[in-house]
Amino acid sequence: MPSRNTVITFLAAAGVVLFFVFTAPTRVVPHDGKLHLRYWMITGMKEIIPYYATSFNAMQDSIVVETTPIPWQEHEKKILTAVLSGDPPDVVNQVTPVAKWASRMALVALDDYIARDRFDTSAFFSSLWGEMKWQGHVFAIPVFSGSYALFYNRELFREAGLDPDRPPRTWDEVWQYNARLVKRDAKGQIVRMGFIPNYGNLMTSMLMAWELGAKFLSDDGKTVHLDDPAMVKGLEWTVKFYEAYPREDVAAFMAGFGFADQHGFIARKVAMMVLDSGFPDQIKLYRPNLDYGVAMIPSFEGCPTASASGSWWMAIPRGAKNPEAAWQFMKHAASKQAQLREVQMTEESLFPANKLAAADPEFINSRQREIFVAQMEYSHSPSIVPMAHDVFWREFLGAQERAIYGKQSPEEALKDGERVLQGILDEALAYDNYVRGQMTFPGVK
Amino acid sequence: MSQSATSRKFWTRRRQEGMFGYLFASPWIIGFVLFGLYPMVMSLYYSMSRYDVLRVPEFIGLQNFSTLLSHDPYFWNAVWNTVFYTVVRTPLAIAGSLFLALLVNNAIRGVRVFRTVYFLPSIVGGVVLSVLWLWIFNPQYGLLNAFLNLFGIKGLLWLQSPEWSKPSLVLMSLWSIGGGRMIVFLAALQNVPLELYEVVDLDGGGWWRKFYHVTLPMISPVLFLWFIIEVIFGFQVFTEAYVMTKGGPLNSTMFYNLYLYYKAFDDFDMGYASALAWLLLLLSLVITLVQFTVGKFWVYYESER
Repeated sequence: MPSRNTVITFLAAAGVVLFFVFTAPTRVVPHDGKLHLRYWMITGMKEIIPYYATSFNAMQDSIVVETTPIPWQEHEKKILTAVLSGDPPDVVNQVTPVAKWASRMALVALDDYIARDRFDTSAFFSSLWGEMKWQGHVFAIPVFSGSYALFYNRELFREAGLDPDRPPRTWDEVWQYNARLVKRDAKGQIVRMGFIPNYGNLMTSMLMAWELGAKFLSDDGKTVHLDDPAMVKGLEWTVKFYEAYPREDVAAFMAGFGFADQHGFIARKVAMMVLDSGFPDQIKLYRPNLDYGVAMIPSFEGCPTASASGSWWMAIPRGAKNPEAAWQFMKHAASKQAQLREVQMTEESLFPANKLAAADPEFINSRQREIFVAQMEYSHSPSIVPMAHDVFWREFLGAQERAIYGKQSPEEALKDGERVLQGILDEALAYDNYVRGQMTFPGVK
Repeated sequence: MSQSATSRKFWTRRRQEGMFGYLFASPWIIGFVLFGLYPMVMSLYYSMSRYDVLRVPEFIGLQNFSTLLSHDPYFWNAVWNTVFYTVVRTPLAIAGSLFLALLVNNAIRGVRVFRTVYFLPSIVGGVVLSVLWLWIFNPQYGLLNAFLNLFGIKGLLWLQSPEWSKPSLVLMSLWSIGGGRMIVFLAALQNVPLELYEVVDLDGGGWWRKFYHVTLPMISPVLFLWFIIEVIFGFQVFTEAYVMTKGGPLNSTMFYNLYLYYKAFDDFDMGYASALAWLLLLLSLVITLVQFTVGKFWVYYESER
């Protein structure tokens, strides 16, 4: 049996080892005289090092970008805890609204860098650039975006006796086309739809609200109007749709939809859908011979089309140690050349945030691409009530659901949602007011 | 080893042994304080604050709790959904497991095979199980509706209807009645002394008398334990709703923990979410205390003879 001294020595040694295990830096930085920049990138299915990172590493000698892919579902929590730990990566990539993070003082303002380098902010699509700002300061750089358009199945158009070269231009036409495209089996179950208002990347009711000029937030950012008349009108169209095509029937039909070849459009079960600029690659992958066309998103007679932007941005998180090098890297990633190459190299097409890249003949090489670029000019930011972003969308979708189920009229449903949303916004404003006395926006003088 | 006079006095044998005791228990103590106690104390503080993780907390007293109880339209809905799920599911799950345990407690040929077969489904759980059941519940192509169609019954919109979404999730949770719970019941059943059954035989009692007057009282402590475990488990229902329904339709599967999750990790409303968590703890505590009180009337402990 070991003596008491041995036991004490052993425990002391174990304590020392544990101490160093917990306190030692976990990252081993190579001593090659270069600055190693940590970049956390959201990744979909494939973990690839993006071109803008490898090209940045190749074009200069002093900075090495080390890319760490972070899974799509986890990215918000990862960055949340990284900022909280005080040792975040140097650059992060995100897709949720900039304001959600900037308003919480989690990002470093880039105003000084932009002014010093005379960074050309007009090179970006204006709706995307607008999303990068919070209270007049710029907190992120847009790199890619989603752009949306109407996809329609030419083969199903022909089957239904519609002209495959004449996609619908107005919502009335969508209604008429749908009526001709709907198909039921002997038991009366729906087996094909022309259009489904709440299936696709963007909600039809919201598109309608945008094109009719809905204003959801007062100029001072303190009062929300979820029941804006334009929103009510948009929602009424959706409710009317479900009066014509019972919700239960459509829900049963949609329950089998999923990703890849179970996607309604790829499975040739829905003939018209609003989808994003990366979708043609999905079609190529899962049903390469699908005969489809892409057109501008329909609108009400006399209204401009509307779409949403979905920005994919980069920023410097609060507490990052190498902001200067991070800025250099971000500038490169947003440049025309880097974006053009990246778009060509990725399997699922990204849409460049840089207008110059989007306007380049190398990018605009098809009618499809022209439509996506044109549609970007009409895009609206999905960050509508930035300080209560997730609540806004949850309340909007909840109100839409209640209206579709006939529990409330569109107006009542939106009013109820507005009440909840206003309560949350008031809380957020009160908290913001308190925090202003305790903390400042990083990088803002 | 030389020791000074003062230290000899201080380090009596009793003290020394005490110190060693704490030293050996220290890995657990340190772990508990750092990863158990500290987070709990902090979450109690956050529950009385506005706090979004990224910025400093603002102390607001009990405001979160009063908002929750009186102004939040989702809170009572979430409580109702969770209580419904727990109240419907717990007896069914326990009765189901007990039934299976009684079946495989018989000394028939191949009983080991049956035990294994009943146990097998419980190996699959969590997200995988949820995705699997999405297809079983599918209104057009699902197994369940195909089965009902055989009898000429028109299938239901299981997860897509607000009336059926909760019962559907209860049904799905019965998938694992042959799991650990059945094994524990089986062990309890095998501990029931055979002479008690012989007494019933002598008195001319049938299987029901044996079950009601012998089996149930003898395994009541185990049943009681599982009632407590399953009620607490029921209150924590999350994965199924998160994967399969996202709380819908019409918030009919917006369970307590799912609402808490959305508040914490979508809205970053960590103060409010902490308040939700503490209320859930209180609720679980009250119900467990009630169960203990009621348990006195039906749980039979041999040692109390």
